[in-house]
Amino acid sequence: MSSRVCKTCGCADIDIDQARGNAVCMGCGSVLEDNIIVSEVTFVENSGGGSSAVGQFVSSDGTGKTPVLGSGFHTSIGKESRTQTLQNGECLISLSLMKTFRKRHINNLGHQLQLNQHCLDTAFNFFKMAVSKHLTRGRKMAHVIAACLYLVCRTEGTPHMLLDLSDLLQVNVYVLGRTFLLLARELCINAPAIDPCLYIPRFAHMLEFGDKNHEVSMTALRLLQRMKRDWMHTGRRPSGLCGAALLVAARMHEFRRTVKEVIGVVKVCEATLRKRLTEFEDTPTSQLTIDEFMKVDLEQECDPPSFTAGQRKLRLQQLEQELAKKIDEVQGEICSYQDEIEMELENSRPKLKGIYASYTKEDTQDDTLSVASGFPGNEDGEDEELVAAAKHLNKDFCRELLSEQDEADSGAESGAESEQPTTSRQPPLASLLGPLPTAASLGLSDSIRQCIAEKEDEENSEHGELDLNGIDDEEIERYILNEKEVKIKTDLWMKQNADYLKEQKEKEERIAKEKELGIYKEQKPKRPPKKREPIRASTAGEAIEKMLEQKKISSKINYDVLRDLNKKGCSPSHQSEEAVTSPTSKRLASRRKRNIAALGLGNQVSNMGKRLKPLISGPTIKKPAGDQGVTSTVPTPTPEVSQPVVVESGPVVYEDVPDEEDDEDEEPCVSAMQLMGGNDYGCDVDDDEGI
Amino acid sequence: MEPNNDVALDIIITNVVAVFRTRCHLNLRTIAREGSNVIYKPEVGKVLMKLRKPRITASIWSSGKIICTGATSEEEAKLGARRLARCLQKLGFKVKFTDYKVVNVLAVCTMPFQIQLIEFTKNNRPIASYEPELHPAASYRIKNLKATVQIFSTGSITVTGPNVQFVATAVEQIYPLLFECKMAAR
Repeated sequence: MSSRVCKTCGCADIDIDQARGNAVCMGCGSVLEDNIIVSEVTFVENSGGGSSAVGQFVSSDGTGKTPVLGSGFHTSIGKESRTQTLQNGECLISLSLMKTFRKRHINNLGHQLQLNQHCLDTAFNFFKMAVSKHLTRGRKMAHVIAACLYLVCRTEGTPHMLLDLSDLLQVNVYVLGRTFLLLARELCINAPAIDPCLYIPRFAHMLEFGDKNHEVSMTALRLLQRMKRDWMHTGRRPSGLCGAALLVAARMHEFRRTVKEVIGVVKVCEATLRKRLTEFEDTPTSQLTIDEFMKVDLEQECDPPSFTAGQRKLRLQQLEQELAKKIDEVQGEICSYQDEIEMELENSRPKLKGIYASYTKEDTQDDTLSVASGFPGNEDGEDEELVAAAKHLNKDFCRELLSEQDEADSGAESGAESEQPTTSRQPPLASLLGPLPTAASLGLSDSIRQCIAEKEDEENSEHGELDLNGIDDEEIERYILNEKEVKIKTDLWMKQNADYLKEQKEKEERIAKEKELGIYKEQKPKRPPKKREPIRASTAGEAIEKMLEQKKISSKINYDVLRDLNKKGCSPSHQSEEAVTSPTSKRLASRRKRNIAALGLGNQVSNMGKRLKPLISGPTIKKPAGDQGVTSTVPTPTPEVSQPVVVESGPVVYEDVPDEEDDEDEEPCVSAMQLMGGNDYGCDVDDDEGI
Repeated sequence: MEPNNDVALDIIITNVVAVFRTRCHLNLRTIAREGSNVIYKPEVGKVLMKLRKPRITASIWSSGKIICTGATSEEEAKLGARRLARCLQKLGFKVKFTDYKVVNVLAVCTMPFQIQLIEFTKNNRPIASYEPELHPAASYRIKNLKATVQIFSTGSITVTGPNVQFVATAVEQIYPLLFECKMAAR
């Protein structure tokens, strides 16, 4: 494009030099292009004399690192890449880095799960899609990767559970599940539902049925299918069902697999497994014998266990209701008897005059009727006892009211009076039935008032004023404690939270001090560093042991041997271990590694190192200290003699040692013998390694 | 609630969450000292105040933001919120009742039949999701209503939404879908 016409002068004559990679306009001389991309391969000579091709490897997937554009920025390559690099430059680089880095992660995890390469590639594709949709922002990489892998597992139908992934990552299953669900939704990937049958071969293998593995698996599969038909598998963890099926199958084939073993494999808890087994027991299939089960498939389908549970509840409720009705009837009889008795008592009392007498009789009858009719409506929530009690109390109240009315003026109309008793009865009834209904009625009236006054509320909310409609001030006053109570409460709280308050004070003081000194920094909560106490030990052995306990340096070191090292050095000639070896032991303790390797002059150093290699890796020293007393040869010839012997029998090469040997040449030339406290050391070792 | 297919479904609202602002700084220690039914949590920086009459629990922050939970209806929530503001007023703070908003409503409903969850998820693929390993219920998100319905195999469903109206609409919407995948009649 730009090579056709020059921008500055409009000249079409442009010279392209491949060697320099320039495009220059012949008219005005302006450089149009610099660093032209060439498709030739050029070679460069290395320092060693060999030649290597010039260029960078760019991975087929992903963009690779964006090439650093130097001065030719504005005219080179083209507009598209320029905008890309401008806008997404950092983004691209980070993405590519991330991808290469994370591909490794995906592969790692995948191999741990034993997924094949195709699955891993698919997972990586999912990951790329996720990255492009910015789903990785704000989420831990590990979670996203695990979610991608699990997505692949689901789509491929491999028997991997989300639990396995969470085990590998040591992450909460539900956290992973959330990420996974989000991923599936965003990528619009429909993961097919898990079929518990998929897990059976895997679990069967883990339970080690040997030759009969296949048969047991088949039986378990049949059991599972039966469970499915009996609607036991909706809303349940598939692994739980598998566990139950496998347990039964194992027992059927005379394998003794305890519940604990199955649980360890299947990863559900004992209670779940037992529950599944009980549910299965309830199905008619459980009544068949083993042979029958293998041959016959029962036609009838069972109801789901939750359904049967629901049915049971319903039945219980019905029974309760019937019982309640019966109680009612019985109580009704009792009531009628009581009424009769009371009637008799009343009759024995002085009778009311005239009209009122007839009203009292009628009203009492009406009362019972109205009460009886009124109650079925309210009965749903209320106690039968309460109702019965209310009835009786009600009658007492009515009698009291009636007696009051008798005393009142008789000028009122009969209609009004007949209404009054009934209305006067209702409030006591209502109050008898409990405080709740009254509160509700009040609350309702409040809400009604609120609905009417809604417009007012809206205006108030704009101003922020509090609408006091329907708020009972007195009640609210109860929420506020008086002074005494406040004091008591403050004291109590202070005592309870004394520690917290101290901490806060100290923190503030500290901050204040630091501010004064000008050192104050915003401190993020740090994990307290692991403090290590200085090792105090009386013998070298103890010191080594303590240090080893604290610092677990390498698993390739045979610590027993190390401990014995010092003991060997001490025991032969010097029995006063502590006196001689303590200064040396301390030095030993502090410079353990170096001492092993380094000890004095060049040859001796290497010899000691080589001698110690087999000691470090091999088994414990065979010959006891007893031999040391026997041999008391001169150390100097022995190293040379021992060398070939040692080298041959040295099993593991302790690779760190040669490096340290080189380093430690500079140390003051204190020979190993002197450090270890005995000339005999070398010979002891030789004897052992002569074997 | 309108009856669906001649069956009246009882939608029981179990929880209404509302927030409001008092537009003034609240001293939590004063509230903690002088209020009854309060729990002071200094580590988190809030005070929990529980009211008895509309049974609600309110989280009060020192910035003046208050979250009210536990009410069983929208009216109750508003009443409780206002009661609470009045209480704070009495404690001596210059409280204003602003920005009252019902944030979440939780309702429970029971279908008269059981539901085949796997079939349901298959029919409503991207909107519904069911992970038996994680949760025994299938969850169905209605985007335009911003409501989530959790469907259990027993037939009971829980609906959460921004207000009661949406919740009711959600139940209406989901009923036909559930009816298709029913298992056994009660």
